[in-house]
Amino acid sequence: MPRLSQKQYEWRVLVAMALYTLCMLVEWPLVRAAGSLPLKCLLALVPVLPMIYVIMLMGRRIRDSDELERQTHLLGLGISTAVVGAVSLVGGFLSIANVLKLDGSILIWVFPGLMFCYGLARWQVARRYGVGTFCESDAGVAKYVRFVLAGGVLLLIAWICRSSLDDVQLGFLCGAGAGLVALGVVYIVLQRRRARVGE
Amino acid sequence: MNNLIRELRSERGWSQAELAQQLDVSRQTVNAIETGKYDPSLPLAFKIARLFGMPIEMIFVPEEE
Repeated sequence: MPRLSQKQYEWRVLVAMALYTLCMLVEWPLVRAAGSLPLKCLLALVPVLPMIYVIMLMGRRIRDSDELERQTHLLGLGISTAVVGAVSLVGGFLSIANVLKLDGSILIWVFPGLMFCYGLARWQVARRYGVGTFCESDAGVAKYVRFVLAGGVLLLIAWICRSSLDDVQLGFLCGAGAGLVALGVVYIVLQRRRARVGE
Repeated sequence: MNNLIRELRSERGWSQAELAQQLDVSRQTVNAIETGKYDPSLPLAFKIARLFGMPIEMIFVPEEE
């Protein structure tokens, strides 16, 4: 299997995350209305598919890394697993002692928590070795493309789901989407200005 | 661990990217090894020694305590 470049990896993750967001907003509300148990299970597990794809992509990326990059990935994953495990243990004990009221839905935050801690830990570990988060020469998808794309996806979701969302949700999606697109435009202007100064 | 990789690379007129390509690692890994922030694995150290045609202990020198 050929090694994915940083850009290819990021595009695939972006598409998977967009699909996941779309599933959560469009398909997830149908779960409660589903009549039969198998259909309910099927609908409830659809958003897991893009996330499994993202986990597979991560595994492939770590497998294809060179030794230093692999070390930063594995240290980041180890630290984040320890942090999330410790937090879960504390939460679990507090819940059993009736100090904290937690229900099963809290489990949905385990994976995002793990990824957030992994990102932070890997950034710190990479800094210690004096390298960036990406060891490859190409720095991945341009920053303005990321912002415009993320904003565009949020605006598209807002437009598709406009009838099923309440005012607060619709306002949040439109505001966040427009803000990200605006940030992307600012980056494009700054980049062009820098290029002009460079000439 | 100190090493002479930067000097050996400069003698041959190679850039970090060129050396990285020959070793099949990233340029940043070469940089981290050269600056002493990362000690390579034994297989990579042997690969470096073979590339420069020198014994491994001539390239990598342990820091004095």
